[in-house]
Amino acid sequence: MAFVTPSNSSCATLQIGKSVGNRIRANSRKSLVVMASTSVQSLDLVHVSKNIGIPVMVNGCTGKMGRAVLEAAISAGLEPVPVALGGAEDDGKILDIDGMQIEVQGTSQREDVLSSVFNDYPNLIVVDYTVPAAVNENAALYSKLGVPFVMGTTGGDRELLYKTVADSNVYAVISPQMGKQVVAFLAAMEIMAEQFPGAFSGYNLQVLESHQASKLDLSGTAKSVISCFQKLGVSFELDQVKQIRDPRLQVEMVGVPQEHLNGHAFHMYHLTSPDETVSFEFQHNVCGRSIYAEGTVDAILFLAKKVNSKAEKRIYDMIDVLREGNMR
Amino acid sequence: MTYVTRTPSNTSYANWQHRNNLHNPSSQFQIGKLVSTKSSNKIPNRRNFLISMTSTSVQSPELAPAVKPKNVGLPIMVNGCTGKMGRAVLEAAISVGLDPVPVALGRHGDAGKIVDVGGKQIEVQGPSQRESFLSSVFKEYPNLIVVDYTVPSSVNENAALYSKVGVPFVMGTTGGDRELLYKTVAASNGYAVISPQMGKQVVAFLAAMEIMAKQFPGAFSGYNLKVMESHQASKLDISGTSEAVISCFQKLGVSFELDQVEQIRDPKLQVEKVGVPEEHISGHAFHTYNLTSPDGTVSFKFEHNVCGRSIYAEGTVDAVLFLAKKVASNADKRIYDMIDVLREGNMR
Repeated sequence: MAFVTPSNSSCATLQIGKSVGNRIRANSRKSLVVMASTSVQSLDLVHVSKNIGIPVMVNGCTGKMGRAVLEAAISAGLEPVPVALGGAEDDGKILDIDGMQIEVQGTSQREDVLSSVFNDYPNLIVVDYTVPAAVNENAALYSKLGVPFVMGTTGGDRELLYKTVADSNVYAVISPQMGKQVVAFLAAMEIMAEQFPGAFSGYNLQVLESHQASKLDLSGTAKSVISCFQKLGVSFELDQVKQIRDPRLQVEMVGVPQEHLNGHAFHMYHLTSPDETVSFEFQHNVCGRSIYAEGTVDAILFLAKKVNSKAEKRIYDMIDVLREGNMR
Repeated sequence: MTYVTRTPSNTSYANWQHRNNLHNPSSQFQIGKLVSTKSSNKIPNRRNFLISMTSTSVQSPELAPAVKPKNVGLPIMVNGCTGKMGRAVLEAAISVGLDPVPVALGRHGDAGKIVDVGGKQIEVQGPSQRESFLSSVFKEYPNLIVVDYTVPSSVNENAALYSKVGVPFVMGTTGGDRELLYKTVAASNGYAVISPQMGKQVVAFLAAMEIMAKQFPGAFSGYNLKVMESHQASKLDISGTSEAVISCFQKLGVSFELDQVEQIRDPKLQVEKVGVPEEHISGHAFHTYNLTSPDGTVSFKFEHNVCGRSIYAEGTVDAVLFLAKKVASNADKRIYDMIDVLREGNMR
């Protein structure tokens, strides 16, 4: 099969890693220069270019998260392979993304398909953003074939998930929360609470959160942060959380951009000392799904590194990814 | 004492915790053991004790014992009590049941002055014969803890005095020769808490940021940072705390220079834009750090705002309680800081 080598012209702005035409081979050479305009360190071209060529398969790519991950991955110089697994109803669909085409393989013969793709692309990393009902059987498939994967899908039987992966000794990053920076913030709170119990004794806590109207429950993250404050000596019950679900209030009071009313996660925690002379406030506000897509890409880069170095540890989470530092 | 318990009700949260499986050194969740004292501003012997269970507990709850008022009667001497910090510490100390002795050390010009605080009267002793004076007070009150809120130029000679007499002390005064200070105390093997930042909760927040930066370098690469701080107009420099927090964000991968900090010193802006209460214009420390992701879809905000000096007085009292505990238990370690005090947990 022929493949096209793109010219050097596509690196002017944010468009990075754009490929032209169908790429079949993972080891096609490119003269693309990958630049992140938001890079804070000096442009480390050598560093980034070693990520080019990591073949990825995003299962569930017909969904919004899957698509977002594909886009973020392509932006970072990763290489989606031209097939992906999906549900029975998606069999045969073609996903068009950034000039690439990915054909979705339904449930029948998925093992053969994945096996042969893995054969063609031995460095393959699979990403899973499917549905809770598919978590365990998908994990079983990846484990059986030994293909490293990043599990972004939440739900399913988590205990069984870990067991399946552990038994097969396959490499995996499993994290229901792919918002890397939110995980970092939460971890800092956890460490503070564990190291300094009761430090905020007597302080008053107010919690406000806003999500799309369809989300009725409190976010897991909010509950975790609240738990930290409780360890820090603050008296607070979950039913005291102010949940804002009215779109008008969300825009006017909370400050959620209109276009993100259908998908956002805004949280505010406000602590006040007993005599009210001291206050602390922490906020983490997420619009859309970009943070999760970016976090997923970080997880892929991390996992590829671990596989490459034949690391002993096999199952990782977002904390491990964070500990590794910036890999872009 | 009676206590109220509530059984954990939220098992789905328990599952989430388990799934999340945070691999950090602190992943043993301390659950089900809370003692929350709702401290009123009144005199201590009638505190309410609220012992509650966290509803997010995943293991079986452990019932914490009631906290007894064991701090009543601890003698303290606040040197520099003619100053505002000294006075604030005395008030906070009396509120929790500590017992100021009726004398304190001061400078020459304050000799003989009487400080009236919380119904107590304290006579200031000048510099002459302070060693024999302190010795005799220490003899009379062997559990004495000294607190020092004097001036930078007295730090070293005061520390030398306390070390010579062997009296445990909390050094709240900043400045002086810090290296010599530590050397003096270490050489005498005396007990001391030394901390230029007595705002305990601010120290906790800063420590959390430092841990985050150390554990997760580059986690916020590419993020944009904005820092705004407001202090009384007389404070020209950026606070040490801001500098420390900014340093953390730099380790976290954020590009930022100190000259980018927005310092608000105009009282009008402080009231209208920053939200500083009028009565605290001449003594406050407000800080806001705003982080935004490259594509603008994610933002984090951290704020710590302090009015007046109450937080420092309260932190000092915590340091006093902590030190008394260490002295009483003959602890091996002698020199402590606010992190040690934080690690001990709530002692009230």
